[in-house]
Amino acid sequence: MKLSSCLKGIRLPRPPAAADPQPLPAPEKVYLPLRQHQGAVAEPKVEPGDQVMMGQVVGASEDFESATVQATVSGTVEAIVQMPDPSGGMVPTVVIANDGADAWIDEPAATEAALASPEEVGATRPSRLLRRVREAGLVRAQVQGRPLHVDLSPPMAPQSYLYMTGIPVVRPIDTLIIKAVDPDPPVCPNASLLGEAGDELAVGVAALARISGASRIILALPSGADASALKAMAAQYEWETASVCQTSYPFAIDHLMVNSLTGREVPTPYGEPRDVGVSVQPLSTALDVGSVLLTGRPVVERVFSVTGEVKKPGVFRVRLGTPIGEVLDAAGGGPSQAGKVVVGGPMMGLAIYDLGTPVTRETQGVFVQSAPQVQHFADHPCIHCGRCVAVCPVNLIPSDLGKLCEFRMYEDAAEQDLMNCIECGCCAFVCPAQRPMVHFLRHGKTEVLAGRME
Amino acid sequence: MNNNLLTVSTSPHILGRTTLRSMYLEMMIALVPALLVGLYYFGAPGLTTVVLAMAAAAATEYLISLITKKPSTLSNLHILLMGLMMGMILPPGAPWWLPVAGGFLTVALGMSIFGGNGNYPFNPVLVAWAALAISWPEAMGAYLEPMALGSGDDWMEAETFLMQLKGDIGTLEMFELGTLWIGNVAGGVGTTGTWALLAGGIYLVIRRLIPWQIPLGALIGAVGMGLLAVYTDERVAEMGFEEFSAYLNIVWLHLGAGSFMIAAFFLGPEPVSSPVTPWGGLLFGLGVGMMTIIVRFWGSPLDGAFYGVLLMNAATPLLDRIRPRVIGKVVSGA
Ligand code: SF4
Ligand code: SF4
Repeated sequence: MKLSSCLKGIRLPRPPAAADPQPLPAPEKVYLPLRQHQGAVAEPKVEPGDQVMMGQVVGASEDFESATVQATVSGTVEAIVQMPDPSGGMVPTVVIANDGADAWIDEPAATEAALASPEEVGATRPSRLLRRVREAGLVRAQVQGRPLHVDLSPPMAPQSYLYMTGIPVVRPIDTLIIKAVDPDPPVCPNASLLGEAGDELAVGVAALARISGASRIILALPSGADASALKAMAAQYEWETASVCQTSYPFAIDHLMVNSLTGREVPTPYGEPRDVGVSVQPLSTALDVGSVLLTGRPVVERVFSVTGEVKKPGVFRVRLGTPIGEVLDAAGGGPSQAGKVVVGGPMMGLAIYDLGTPVTRETQGVFVQSAPQVQHFADHPCIHCGRCVAVCPVNLIPSDLGKLCEFRMYEDAAEQDLMNCIECGCCAFVCPAQRPMVHFLRHGKTEVLAGRME
Repeated sequence: MNNNLLTVSTSPHILGRTTLRSMYLEMMIALVPALLVGLYYFGAPGLTTVVLAMAAAAATEYLISLITKKPSTLSNLHILLMGLMMGMILPPGAPWWLPVAGGFLTVALGMSIFGGNGNYPFNPVLVAWAALAISWPEAMGAYLEPMALGSGDDWMEAETFLMQLKGDIGTLEMFELGTLWIGNVAGGVGTTGTWALLAGGIYLVIRRLIPWQIPLGALIGAVGMGLLAVYTDERVAEMGFEEFSAYLNIVWLHLGAGSFMIAAFFLGPEPVSSPVTPWGGLLFGLGVGMMTIIVRFWGSPLDGAFYGVLLMNAATPLLDRIRPRVIGKVVSGA
């Protein structure tokens, strides 16, 4: 751990020890949004009334920035409706009524030779592996993640923002970070998978490394958790391990983890880890890749963490497309006075307005708050105390930015690096005047972008 | 679809437990040890001074909120903290109107005319203090000889260590370092208990309520500048000190004397008027420490530390421009 992470950022309470994920039965109806990532919406491939089998493609697109969607239950397509996704926008969604048979489809893809060991993966051409990942429609498990096949390919051409800033070269990916840590505790789906050190993981990691071309593999483990199985595996396959403290928020989020593990700085605001030759993949994604290659079947479940004020918080294996409300019921039900349901963690997650929002490939878990616990921001002026400056992980001066955005001086704020803010929320967390800092900053960014568009 | 009403708002969805009220309350708690030391040595006159200053500050704020028809901010304790600090830097046993005027000026002149909490450029307590020191120098210079609690109430006027030192360098040998640091000297009500102030200040630093850079800078600045000053001072040279430790002792005396500690840990890092940037804070602290010593050696005997803070307050907007490098910002043209 670097010194900066001791001095900067905030300490969050340690999440309760992770239990193994419990499977949930498939719901009556699944709602499958045709876009489960940032990118293009897939075109529906089924009509209302069609019979579908589990694993059958219901949405696909030629667009590279789009991921295939498969049915996660067998049954009848009821309708194609508009449903909100976690960020609140409307996405066309295929509704399938479950017939309870869970009958798998036998498509050629499903019968394609299973790759059972890392050696076999190593003997397969990367493009073939990539095609299988793409056919399986995997998405990097993160809110507003990208389709995995996009995330694993190096950028096609130098990104314009890099070119403008003087790094015109495309850097091949040479490092793969598998993160078993979760940036935003207590929503910790990855930490509950620490015991899953088996073939799936070996195959998944080998495939990820082969596709991206990474030669150095780093396994980022949460400090203080029992990860002996993974450590033994890392020793066997010569992966490096690193211990990351997930309670010192926000140092487990990708940009900052890349910085502390490799010393490279991901350019903000538009950069991604792959721009500096690093690919960061969550442990659950690696396991998904492994399972796709081992079984030849798409993934129909998601490890989903339910935390906060529910009766039985825990980690569940949820069929994709299950409405979040049903998952909450399975966890014992939410508080009597519903407050907030946040997809993602309490610090960076998105509050949803509709409990019918389905579990998708990009969601990791929810954090539930009862109405009395919902935080209120105040309209007190900034008292210039500097606590936000002391915690900002990217060394901004949030107090000034907040003031500038509040008084509509967006361009001045942009000159003071407003756009480099990663919206981690530390400044709002510590502000004694309880100013809605992230709100100001986001609003400012939107205005700056809108102003530049004109 | 579901008809449960859910709240939607921007992240973060949890906030830290520090509010303005809790922060000011902790600052007042951190001042309590020093206040107790002051009350132990200055008894009733000290208590009257502090209570009057706090009451005057609160009353002024209340009146101003009535006149301007704004909600009063008394509930977040900021005004009381300011009144407390005002009372603590005044001489005990001052005539009743001095703390009252101090409390009034703190709120009216130091704070309200600039727009209240968050907007004033100078530490309001010190603005009021400066106004008092210019208007009534005799009253502000009339200190009491400390008497431990319970030893009668015939108070005698006394001069502070710094005032005596200005007149006669031989004073150096009359004061014990230990006595000075525990607070058994003439001085402002809450400014003499050096150990107590240090403890309170360190508590604030650990709780991350004040940035550590400012007190650290102030200590470094004062020790550094102090050494320079005693080495170049002819009067000290005439006393025939040989060893470094003797010179260093004089510096320790200076740290414990006057109001340096309260300035370094409480008045200097006062949130609104001090810089927010890390390097700015360090420079601010250095400036406070150095100015303290400079004023003491070559200027007024009243108190250098306060002038140091006021002067550095003026430099705060400049110091705030020293920004750290932003992580992830690509420098163009590389
Ligand atoms: S300014 Fe942005 S990056 Fe800095 S603490 Fe606030 S939200 Fe995080
Ligand atoms: S923490 Fe809040 S009050 Fe303090 S400087 Fe930052 S924005 Fe201002």
